[in-house]
Amino acid sequence: MSLLIRNLQHVVNLRRALLRKNLEISRSCLRVGNFDVGVICINDAKIRQLNKRYREKDTATDVLSFPFHEDLHPGFLPKPLFQDEYNLGDIYLGVEFIYRQCQQTQEDFHSVLTVTAVHGLCHLLGYTHDRLEDWRQMFEKENEVLWAINKATGSALKPLTTAHFDH
Amino acid sequence: MLSSLSRSVFSAAARVLVSRPLPVLASRGPGRSLCRSLWVHGGASSALRPTFLNPHRGFPAVSCGCGGLHTEGDKAFAEFLSDEIKEEKKIQKHKNLPKMSGGWEIEVHGTEAKLTRKVSGEKISVTFNTNNSIPPSFEEESQEGQKGEEEEPELISTPNFVVEVTNLDSNQTLVLDCHYPEDEVGHGEEEEESDIFTIREVSFQPTGDTDWKENSYTLGTDSLDWALYDHLMDFLADRGIDNTFADELVELSTALEHQEYIRFLENLKSFIKC
Repeated sequence: MSLLIRNLQHVVNLRRALLRKNLEISRSCLRVGNFDVGVICINDAKIRQLNKRYREKDTATDVLSFPFHEDLHPGFLPKPLFQDEYNLGDIYLGVEFIYRQCQQTQEDFHSVLTVTAVHGLCHLLGYTHDRLEDWRQMFEKENEVLWAINKATGSALKPLTTAHFDH
Repeated sequence: MLSSLSRSVFSAAARVLVSRPLPVLASRGPGRSLCRSLWVHGGASSALRPTFLNPHRGFPAVSCGCGGLHTEGDKAFAEFLSDEIKEEKKIQKHKNLPKMSGGWEIEVHGTEAKLTRKVSGEKISVTFNTNNSIPPSFEEESQEGQKGEEEEPELISTPNFVVEVTNLDSNQTLVLDCHYPEDEVGHGEEEEESDIFTIREVSFQPTGDTDWKENSYTLGTDSLDWALYDHLMDFLADRGIDNTFADELVELSTALEHQEYIRFLENLKSFIKC
């Protein structure tokens, strides 16, 4: 089962192999290596268009996740009935948006890209952060995945929603 | 989304490839209205009547003293071509070929172009040919009638291009055959899920040889490990062949193709007109 990375933008120079390596660690940590995942890197205009169409928010953003399965419960993997259903869905990364934010905050772009992609991957498995309880669950899962990446690569990545709720 | 969209795009592309021919002269935007005048002007029924010069064969000849055959049809053809050339020059975006950013030097031989640059110990060249580089239109047949006076979509040239990376120390050349996916230039709403360009084949080839050595191992990317594929894409990006390059190459190729098309029409006109 594959992890497909597509780069549809030319604003930011992307290291695809690095992103794949970190996402493969994430898939393994989440035990979803037998599911397909699509990661599509797009510019501000394209993610804004998607954000408007699917969330009615006319702004660019960092990540949008489109789960393949509808009945998702955090902590439980989808139960496919057919081979075609071994698919988690797609993560759209607004790489131009992320890059601009990194320039403002002086953070490493590829580190933030990984953190954002992991966040999107957790959304594909049903994790959300709308309520405090949901966020706690998602934060823990993101932390677990990023810990695995940090251990394998020596980086020091922290979950995207670290400051989402005061804790 | 990605997987389901990809499937729909591939099936659409396959249908088009089977049923639609490559663009011909008459399919070009401004040429369409002119085609009609050609038929009116030709006056086919009267032109085929036996005459003193052509009693049997029905070729209405026009004499100019050069000894060649000139028919009324040729005359109309030359007039048509004059109009076509005028129209094409009017819509020509670039009088000179656009420059590529990144210090690429360009060498053009007819429809073939070669871009070269040197980066620390390596020579990189990219060659492409504009012949057959305009993909067939993705317009639905059924919608054609409704199009009416709407403007024709701009013709974009998306040639296959071959990247050669030569290590100047070892004199080894790695060759990567790259393509623009068909759906990238489609006109659907959500078809843009493919990379801007893709690598189709990778092989080591003798340095400086123009012929493809068939007995060199050729790595096809259809069933390739995606991790290896991503490394190859990063390898190209490090050498200046990224999405920006691919976009600029389309602009260059489109300009070259249009320039060669106009030159072809001019040659055709001279050939016919004498």
